[in-house]
Amino acid sequence: MLLNLVMPTAGTATIGGRRYLDLEEPSRVIGAVLEASSAHKGRTGRNHLKACCLAVGLPMSRADEVLELVGLTPAADRMFKGYSLGMRQRLGIAAAMLGDPQVLILDEPANGLDPEGIRWMREFLQGLAAQGRTVLVSSHLLSEMQALADDVVIVAAGRLIRQGTVREVLTSMAGDGRVTVTTPERDKLAAALERIGADVTADGHDGLLVSGATAAVVGETALAAGVPLHRLTADEPDLEDVFLGLTQGKAAIR
Amino acid sequence: MNRLVRAEIFKLRTTNLWWLFAAATVVSTVVMLAVNAVAARALLKPFDQFVALDTHGHGGQIPPDFLAHLQSEWQTGHSAITQAVTLYTSGQLIGVLLACLLGIVLVTGEFQHQTATTTFLLNPHRGIVVAGKLVTAVLMAVLAWLVSTVITVAAGAIFLHSQGYGTQLGHWAVLRAILLNLAAYAIWAVFGVGFGALIRSQLAATVAATVLYLVGATGAGTVFDLIHTYVINQDWVLAAQVIVPPIASTVMISPTATFDQSPAQWVGAAVLIGYGVAAALIGTRILRRRDIA
Repeated sequence: MLLNLVMPTAGTATIGGRRYLDLEEPSRVIGAVLEASSAHKGRTGRNHLKACCLAVGLPMSRADEVLELVGLTPAADRMFKGYSLGMRQRLGIAAAMLGDPQVLILDEPANGLDPEGIRWMREFLQGLAAQGRTVLVSSHLLSEMQALADDVVIVAAGRLIRQGTVREVLTSMAGDGRVTVTTPERDKLAAALERIGADVTADGHDGLLVSGATAAVVGETALAAGVPLHRLTADEPDLEDVFLGLTQGKAAIR
Repeated sequence: MNRLVRAEIFKLRTTNLWWLFAAATVVSTVVMLAVNAVAARALLKPFDQFVALDTHGHGGQIPPDFLAHLQSEWQTGHSAITQAVTLYTSGQLIGVLLACLLGIVLVTGEFQHQTATTTFLLNPHRGIVVAGKLVTAVLMAVLAWLVSTVITVAAGAIFLHSQGYGTQLGHWAVLRAILLNLAAYAIWAVFGVGFGALIRSQLAATVAATVLYLVGATGAGTVFDLIHTYVINQDWVLAAQVIVPPIASTVMISPTATFDQSPAQWVGAAVLIGYGVAAALIGTRILRRRDIA
């Protein structure tokens, strides 16, 4: 709807206050990577980009520049059908970057990428953001989003659930933070912690899961009880936990 | 608009489609020209020689029915102008189908290769995108007509001249047919774009168009003949065949009757233009409304 590809039943979507349809040169304002496989199978990557240049009135030399930008120059003259998923994603980004836009929208950019490709994508997008551009990514890979994003918006079943920086969203759900502690004297520590009102359970290995006490309190209690600690970590919920907690029961298939 | 046409032509140029269509245009033109030349050579002879040629010399006793059929065929075709028109527009039969297929491919290719998203992202004004495709299809059709006509006029003129009938290129009826043939190519290309918008699947659209075109002409002729013979025995029933697009394009370019009760050339032209305009409008409307996934 933002990009005028799907017609909304009501309302409008704007970018910088203007509808996509009203932008004079949309490709110079906003670039989008929506489908990895969107090029003719029998056309080379370079020719695909050149056709895009022609369609938006950019010089054909931009095709070579963006190919360089995404590191696809060595494969530029191969047919699209021979491209790996990672190369297709890079070509999609190259096409989106043709008009040197200030806003970039990506849908599931990490889909089908190998670990190296994911890292490249993350660094590339963060580099663009560091230049002052806006990068909007939609994804289901929450751990990847946690590593990549500054701000997150959680949407489920068509409704806005939570919005804020990654830290804000994480801490909004961190009320039941737990502490994992490993010690050679489990029983002694468990007894000491229960005395101060913490809830202690075995974690199945040689550690204890403590709730109702911060990591600092657990550490001080162990010191007072004379118990040595081998490991003490506060379990922070990750974006995936938060997402599942927030959207529980709402993500029905529609 | 200008950019879009240039982009579309570039897109055509950078796949193997370009060569397929060029080769098909040339080959079909040459084959149809040869077929028409053989027919013309026979039809332009006096009737008795025509019968002898048509029955391959071993005539013997010809059934009166068949003789009457040959007689009517000879009467329709025994004119240097008619044969010149047929020869010079030999490319039409397959050529306009190719123009139509090109129009289809221009639209359905976007869905086949999932490039519609990119195309509409680069140019969100879909009406202009479709207009660009229409212009491109027409330009390509004109090119195909040019290639085909250069072949048919060169070879056809040499053939007619060698047979002693002159080139016939001085007759307005002949020149008009060649120009109307150009219009047929262009209208069929427009028709193809609309058809492609209607049937999004490339395979379905090309197969449907080809079958409708090839079977449509003969099939419709039979159907209208049957209706005429058994249901409504009125002459306008036969004339009404012109509503079938391939028949309309034949009627449009032929200065003489192409079948019994065939209407005037302008009727064929009007029908074909009507289809072209309708196809373009419906196609644009569909593409403007449709959600692109």
